[in-house]
Amino acid sequence: MIETQQSVVIHAPIGDVWTYAKDVERWAAIMPGYQTCDIADEDNSRWVLKVGVGGLVRTVKVQVHVDEWAGPESVTFSFKLEGDPVSGGGFYRAHAEGPNATGVMLSVRVIGGGPMAPMWEAMGGPLLPKFALAFAEQLKARIEESLGVSKAAAPRPRLFARLILWLRRLFG
Amino acid sequence: MIRNLPAHWDMETDLVAIGSGLAGLGAAITAHDHGTSALVLERADQLGGVTALSLGECWIPGSDPEAALGIEDSPESGFRYLKRLAMGYNEDLATLNLTVHAREALRWFTRAIGLKMMVIRDCPDYYFGHHNDAVKEGRLLEVEPFDAKTLGEWQERTRVSPVVPYGMTHPDMMEPGGSANMAKWDFALMGQRLAADIRCLGAGLAASFVKGAIDRNIPMHTGMNAVELIGDGTRIVGVRCEQDGRDVFVRANKGVVVAVSSYERNAGFNKTLGQQLDLGTMVFSTIDGANFRLTGPVGARVAKVPDVTLLGVRVPGEEMEDGSVLTRSVMAQIGLPHTIVVNRTAKRFGNEAFYREFFMKTDIIDGATQTHPNFPCWAILDAQAREKYIFGAVPPGQDFPEGMAVKADSLAALAAAIGLDPVTLEATVARFNSHAENAEDPDWGRGTHQWSAYMSGDPLNKPHPNFGTLTKAPFYAVQLTRMGGSAIPSTGVVADHHCRAIDWLGEPIPGLYVAGNSVARLETGAMMQSGVSNARGMTHGWLAGLHAAGKPSTLLESETKRLGL
Repeated sequence: MIETQQSVVIHAPIGDVWTYAKDVERWAAIMPGYQTCDIADEDNSRWVLKVGVGGLVRTVKVQVHVDEWAGPESVTFSFKLEGDPVSGGGFYRAHAEGPNATGVMLSVRVIGGGPMAPMWEAMGGPLLPKFALAFAEQLKARIEESLGVSKAAAPRPRLFARLILWLRRLFG
Repeated sequence: MIRNLPAHWDMETDLVAIGSGLAGLGAAITAHDHGTSALVLERADQLGGVTALSLGECWIPGSDPEAALGIEDSPESGFRYLKRLAMGYNEDLATLNLTVHAREALRWFTRAIGLKMMVIRDCPDYYFGHHNDAVKEGRLLEVEPFDAKTLGEWQERTRVSPVVPYGMTHPDMMEPGGSANMAKWDFALMGQRLAADIRCLGAGLAASFVKGAIDRNIPMHTGMNAVELIGDGTRIVGVRCEQDGRDVFVRANKGVVVAVSSYERNAGFNKTLGQQLDLGTMVFSTIDGANFRLTGPVGARVAKVPDVTLLGVRVPGEEMEDGSVLTRSVMAQIGLPHTIVVNRTAKRFGNEAFYREFFMKTDIIDGATQTHPNFPCWAILDAQAREKYIFGAVPPGQDFPEGMAVKADSLAALAAAIGLDPVTLEATVARFNSHAENAEDPDWGRGTHQWSAYMSGDPLNKPHPNFGTLTKAPFYAVQLTRMGGSAIPSTGVVADHHCRAIDWLGEPIPGLYVAGNSVARLETGAMMQSGVSNARGMTHGWLAGLHAAGKPSTLLESETKRLGL
């Protein structure tokens, strides 16, 4: 298992941050190559991503389950890739740092399965922190932009998706 | 000679290289360093060409890295080896031209651009053990890991492969047991290389040449589609390109090098220039026969050698950037233990572990029945294979994606499910199994080439890297797809030993050069040897650059005399 925690400060009240963040589809839309987010119910969704790097485009399907809604301060989730032996989970924590500032921490863990588990985890190790930070910064940018606080664009979190594709090269 | 001069020129240089693989970049760099200005035109939006898709192997007999290891070899021995592979479909002077110049070209690029090539240890020639001039190791070279961050603004615009693990060198892959033993690879190293964008194999090789061009400030224009050569009535003097819907005229005072690879993405050309039907491919869309469209109107001659048809699979959920179907080769996987390939009669039809032989069998035509008796065909695997080995990008221990394979609890049920005769399939597997236990294949000679163990086998498997019984249910059948030779074509433009394009009367076309996979494979004829295509690209580019700069090599003449050819 590999795990990382990354934090950002969003320049918005915690209530406004929650209004944005409680929508699962918005989380899916941050992912690279976002195609669709099928909401099965309040707790379950299926994200379809079409990720392209270096000539290869691959459809990646992710089953996402919210284990616990405890907004505006906390969400706990788990996920599983369809077709790849990768699962994981994590949590979102938010706390007010002032009337117009919210500290957000994202924790993500990834668990590789099957005979190639060491590969998923060893190669994901250097990339997961970068991915989680990019995701958190993208979330911050989108929330601030939606509230008119900032128009600064953060880079999309490509690296982990790139890992999935890069690993697929191993088998070509 | 055509005369179609434009009213104005948009750019001017001495040598225009069309294409940015090893051949095009090599020609531009060589010309530049010999006092001739050059620029590179690339139709795609990334540099690197098919070189970047490859395993990056360069087959060079008698190279300095080989000599440094004390391996006894020579270009002359390499010539004899290729000549035998060619089975008479080559031209001896073309074969000799490649083998005597490849070493010199490598020397030059090593000095000029700091190219760092190393011997791939323990990697034999295909026919080692079957041919006196084949070597156990030494001729196949690869680039040392290359830091792509040094490419600056070109880093993201230099191509990598969609199907090759370009973060690993051959020893990184092979020393733990090859792709058959991937669980033993150093994944921490791979993760570090990915994060740092350190490129190996073909991607590293292509990046090395891109860096060479960057260091020389050689202009490189992407998105520039060369559509027509321009002549002044006596020679080729430029090229008309299309870029963003407008014409761009580029003047070439000393010549144009067409190094645009081949035609694998052109189904019509595959069918009529080769005799290949319904080819799958892993190459990008610009590999569509531009070499013929450019050089044909000015009278360049073409020549053909026997086709190379690989077998591959399509993995559901994968596609190429342009939305077209991506086909992955399985040639290195069908020779693994617990795996065979059968045709429509449920019988094996070749040595699955040696694809130099196998691809010659795929497209055989039976005139009596008017069929391809060996196509369609299926890979048959058992549970042991799935537990241990990848197949078509599906990792071991993982289910095939829906639609990719048929699964059954018995061979008879598997045969019935794919429309084969159950009794025959059971008999085929039983016969293979009976010999596999003794690591023998009296029918097709599987496992008799050392190269098969290296590239198509599991070196840790006992009793033999290429043998293992199919006995454990469930069983799987994967229908295979015809696939092109990764832009290694059967038909190309004929060139002389300076890589000048030749017309139908046998005369060089002034001002026109061809290089790399755009050139007819008259060096290797019937067979291929891994690493020859990259060696051709490097050597052709160097020879064309030298000639355009007015400093042609004279080595072939002296070697021809010395050898009495």
